[in-house]
Amino acid sequence: MKKALALTLAAALSASLLAGCGGSGSSTSTAAGGGDAATAEQTGLPAYNELTVGEDYTDLTANIKFISHRTDLIEDGTFDGYVAAFNELYPNITISYEGITDYAGDMTTRLTSQDWGDICMIPTTIPLPEIGDYFYAMCDLSAIEADYNFADNRAYDGKVYGIPSTGNAQGIVYNKAVFEAAGITELPKTPTEFLDALQAIKDNTDAIPLYTNYAAGWTMSAWDAYIGGGATGDAEWMNITMPQTHDAFAAGVPTGDTESGPYAVYNILYEAVKRGLTEDDPTTTDWEGSKPMINNGEIGTMVLGSWAIVQMQDAGENADDIGYMPFPISVDGTQYASSGADYCYGINEYSSDDNKIASMLYIKWLTESSNFSYDQGGIPILKSQEYPETLAAFDGIELVADTAAPTELSDLGANVQRDAELMLNSDQTHVMRIVEAAINGDETLDDIVADWNEAWNAAVDENAPAA
Amino acid sequence: MPSNAAIRAKNITINILKYVLLIFSAFVALVPIVSLVNTAFKTEEEYANTNVMTLPENWLNFDNFITAWQQADMGRAFLNSFIILVCVLTGSVMISSMLAYVLNRFKFPGNGLIRNAFMIATLIPGIAAQVTVYQIMTSLHLVNSMPGYIILMMGTDVITIYIFLQFFENLSVSLDESAILDGCTYFGVFFKILLPLLKPAIVTSAILKGVGTYNEYYMANLYLQDKTKYQVVSTSLYVFSGPMGSQYNYICAGVIITIIPALIVFLLCQDQIYSGMAAGAVKG
Amino acid sequence: MSKPAAQAKPRKTFLQWCKSMRGQQIICTVTFLAVPLLLLFTFTYLPFFKMVEFSFFDMRYIGRREFVGLDNYIDVFTRDDCFQALKLSLYYMVGSVVQMAIALLFATILSFHVRGSKFFRGALYFPCLICGIAVGFIFKFFFTHGFVLDTLLSWVGFDVESLPYWLRDESINNIVLVACSVWKYVGQNIVMFIGAIASVDSTLYEAAEIDGANAWHRFKDIILPSIRTIVVLNLIISVSGALSAFEMPYVVTGGGFGTSTYFVIMDKLAHVDQKVGLASAMAIVLLALIMVVTFVQKRAEKWLDERDSRTPKAVVKADPNTAAQASSARPAHAE
Repeated sequence: MKKALALTLAAALSASLLAGCGGSGSSTSTAAGGGDAATAEQTGLPAYNELTVGEDYTDLTANIKFISHRTDLIEDGTFDGYVAAFNELYPNITISYEGITDYAGDMTTRLTSQDWGDICMIPTTIPLPEIGDYFYAMCDLSAIEADYNFADNRAYDGKVYGIPSTGNAQGIVYNKAVFEAAGITELPKTPTEFLDALQAIKDNTDAIPLYTNYAAGWTMSAWDAYIGGGATGDAEWMNITMPQTHDAFAAGVPTGDTESGPYAVYNILYEAVKRGLTEDDPTTTDWEGSKPMINNGEIGTMVLGSWAIVQMQDAGENADDIGYMPFPISVDGTQYASSGADYCYGINEYSSDDNKIASMLYIKWLTESSNFSYDQGGIPILKSQEYPETLAAFDGIELVADTAAPTELSDLGANVQRDAELMLNSDQTHVMRIVEAAINGDETLDDIVADWNEAWNAAVDENAPAA
Repeated sequence: MPSNAAIRAKNITINILKYVLLIFSAFVALVPIVSLVNTAFKTEEEYANTNVMTLPENWLNFDNFITAWQQADMGRAFLNSFIILVCVLTGSVMISSMLAYVLNRFKFPGNGLIRNAFMIATLIPGIAAQVTVYQIMTSLHLVNSMPGYIILMMGTDVITIYIFLQFFENLSVSLDESAILDGCTYFGVFFKILLPLLKPAIVTSAILKGVGTYNEYYMANLYLQDKTKYQVVSTSLYVFSGPMGSQYNYICAGVIITIIPALIVFLLCQDQIYSGMAAGAVKG
Repeated sequence: MSKPAAQAKPRKTFLQWCKSMRGQQIICTVTFLAVPLLLLFTFTYLPFFKMVEFSFFDMRYIGRREFVGLDNYIDVFTRDDCFQALKLSLYYMVGSVVQMAIALLFATILSFHVRGSKFFRGALYFPCLICGIAVGFIFKFFFTHGFVLDTLLSWVGFDVESLPYWLRDESINNIVLVACSVWKYVGQNIVMFIGAIASVDSTLYEAAEIDGANAWHRFKDIILPSIRTIVVLNLIISVSGALSAFEMPYVVTGGGFGTSTYFVIMDKLAHVDQKVGLASAMAIVLLALIMVVTFVQKRAEKWLDERDSRTPKAVVKADPNTAAQASSARPAHAE
C-alpha cells in the first residue's frame, strides 16, 4: 500500500512539474521575428480598417472580457455608459469590465496564461518583437497611419497590435492666479526662465512653487516623459538615436546646448529642489491632498501629463485657475512638446474568432465614436477630431510624437534601458535619486549623470545593432 | 530577611510599574490610528480641505461607512472571507496537528529530514517565488477559483506546524501509552485523546493564521481575479483606489469596518486560551 | 514492502501486518504526512527549484531567455548596491531582538493575573489587524512634519521646529522604519508567546512559589525552557525577516533616502527592470546567508544547552512530591 501511495505521489508531482514547465516553455519557443501571429488575411477575419462600425456584423453574438487600469471609470459608470451606447448598435455583444489597481505588474503576470480575457490595455513591459505572442495583429500599419495619431505605438513589423486609447501632451500644470500674483506675465520657455518664475512665486506668494509629489513614486518616473521629442525637437531621438548614443544624459547632449536635452529636464528638478523651491519634506508629500492645494493656489506648478488637468480642475472651486503650459525647453528658439500614446487596446491572440471581431468592433467604436480622449482632456486618436480646450496653450507649439523604431531596432530602446537599469517611464528610483541628492547635498547632478552614462554606454555597446 | 512592609512596598512598586508600562504601550499601539479614525468620519469636502490632524466636524457621520459597505460590496466580501477562513483554518489545523503528531511521537528514518525541510521552508522568502507559484497555479487550473486559493493558503504555512510541535513536546507520552494499552489505535490516540488537549494551540494558531489570511491581500488580488464574485475583505477596499488616486475617507471607514469583527473575534478567542491553559495544564 | 517477522511466526499476512503496532504506525505516519508534504513541495520547494533555474539565465518574466551561467551570481557580489543594502538589515536585526524581548516581556506579564488584561492584549495586537492598504497612509501622516508624532512630542515639551524630518533624515529614517515594523508585528509575537506559555504545566509554578522563586526566576527557569521551541523558531524567523525586510521601506518610503533594503532592490530588479535571473540569484544568495546565520544560531543554542546542563538549576520540572520535601528543607536564603 505504501508503494501504491508512493507511486501516486510521484505521478502527481511529476505531473505538476511538467505542467509547470509547460507554462513557461511555450513562451520560449517562438521564433525571433514575432511574425508568427496570424494576420487577418491568413485567418479569414476582416482587418480592423475594413470594419465599419454600425454596419458590419450587427447580429454577432459574443461575450467579451475587458481588463482596464481605469478602475475609477469603471466605478463611476463611465464605461457602463459606453457599453450601453455600443449595445445600441450591437445588442448581442456583452462586454464586462474588470479593473486592476496595480495594473502593470498584475497584467504582465496574467499574460502568462492564455485565457485572461479578450481586450486589455497592453502593458509596456512586453518587448515589441514578442508582442505577437500575446496579442492579435489587427491590421497593417499602412492602413491606419494616415487617419490615426500614434498608430505606430504598438506596431511591429508593419502590423498593428495595439490601438491607442488616448494621447497625452507633456507639459506642466500650473495655477494661473499664482502666476499672476507672482508677477509672471509670460509663460517661461527655457529652464532658466522657469526657475526664475519659481523663484518669483516663492518671493511674492505663499505658494509652494513646484510640488514634486515625491512620495507617490510614479510622479518621479513621470519626468522621463519629457526627455524625448519635447526636449530635443527630434522625433527620432527617444526610440532610435538615444539607445545608440553614448553619454546620452550629459549636459548639452544631443543639441549642443545645455538648456535642452535630457540633462536640462533633470536639471530643472535638481535645481528647483536645491534652491528650496519645492516642498520641505518630499517623503511625506500627499498626492490626494495636492489636488485641492493647487486648485486653491497653495501650489504653483506640478509636472504631470495632460491627463491630470481634469483632476486638478475638479478638486476644488477654482477650475478656471488651472492651466497647462508646455514644458519650458526650447531648441534654437522653438518650443516643442512631446506627445505620445497612453495605453493601447490589445486583443488576446488566443481569443475565439467571434470574440476577436467583436473586440475590434468595440475598440473601433471607442476610438472613433466615444469621445473618450476628449472627455479625458487628451489628444484625440482620430486625426480629424478636435483638441480639447485645456490644451489651448499648446497652440503654436510643435507637437512631437516620438517615432517608433523600425522593425530591426524595435526592442533596442527597451533592451538598452533594461541593461542599464534605467527603465525610463517605469522606474522611479533614478529620479528619486536626484531629489535626494539635491536635499542631502552629497551628489551633484553631474555625479548622478556620470553614473547613468557609464551604465548607459555599456548597455549601448552591448546592444549595438550589427553595422 | 526584609520586613513584610518592605516586601509589600516592593510589590506595589512592581505593580505600578507594570500598569504604567501596559498603559503606555497600549497608547503607543493605538495612537497612529488617529489619522485613520479622523479621516473615516469626514465628508469628501472636509477631507479635501482639511488635513488629518483636524477633527471631523461630525463624529456621528456614518455616511462613509455606509458607502464603503455598499460600494465595496462588503457583505459579500465578508461572506467569502468567512468561507475561506473556515476552510483554511480547519485544513491548516488538521494538517499541522497531524504532522506534528507524527514528527513528535514516531521515530522513523527521515523524521529529522522532514523537520529540517519545514524549517528551511520558513527561511525561503515567500515574495521571491511569486511568479513561479503563479505559473504552477495556472497549470493546475487553480487560478480564479476559491478552492485554488484555499489550497494555496493552506500550503504556505509553517508557523502553525511549529506551534503544534511545541505543544506536543509538553504533552506527556504517558497519555499515549495508557490509551494504547487500553486498545486504542494510533489514529484513535490522536483524535480522541490528544486533539482535545490541543485547544490552546488550536486557538493560538487559529488567531495567527486567521488574521494572516484575513489580511492577506497580495495573493488574494492575484488569484481571486473576478472581483464581483470573489471579493474578500482585504481586496474589497481597492475599489476606492484608482490609477488617479484614492478616496481615503471611504478607505479609512472601510478599514475600520474590517478591523472591528477581527478584533471582536480575537478578544473572544482569548478566553479560550485562558481556559485551555487551566484545563490542559492540570492533566500534565 | 516490509513484512517484519513477529515474535514467533515467520511471516505475517499483509492484513495482519496492518493491524500490528509497527504497521499501524507506518500507515498513520504516511497518511498524516501525505498532504503536508505534497503542499510543501508544490508551493514551496517546486517554486524554489524553478527560482534556482531562473538564476542561471538572463530573462524577463515572459519571453525568451539566455543562459548566462554564473554571471548573475558574480553580479550580485560585485554590485555596490546589493551588499550595501544588507547593512540595513543590521538595523532590522536589532529591531527583531528588541521585538522579541518586548514580546516576551508582555507575554509573561499578560499570561498572569492582570486587571484589564483583555484590553491590553487587544490594544497591543491591534496593529496587526490593519491591512496593507492603510499602513502607508497611517505612517505618512504620522510622520508628516507637524502632524501626529510631532504634535504628541510637543505635548511632552519638544519644540516642533526642532524635530527632524523623520523619513527624510538619513541618520534616523531607518530606525524609524524599524520601529514601525516592530509596532506592527510585536502583537503577533505576543500572542504566540502567550499561547506557548499556556502550555506550561501550572503545577511547576506552584512548586516554584513554594520554593520562594521570584518572578524573574520563574521566567528564566520555568517559562523560558518550556517554550524554547517557539522562542527559537521566532528568533530564526526574525533573522530571516530582518534580512528580507521589505514591507515597511517599500510602503512608507518607497526605498528613498537610503532606506532601500536588499529585498526592495530585488523587487525593483525583478518587476521594473525585468532582470528576473539576477533577482533570483539575489534571492538565492540571501537564502544562503540566512541559512548560514541560522546554522550559527543553532550551534550557539546547542553550546548554551551544554553549558546549562552542567550547572544545576534552582527550580526545574519539580513534581509535587519533591516540592513538598524541598519546602520542608527550605534553605535559609531570601529570594
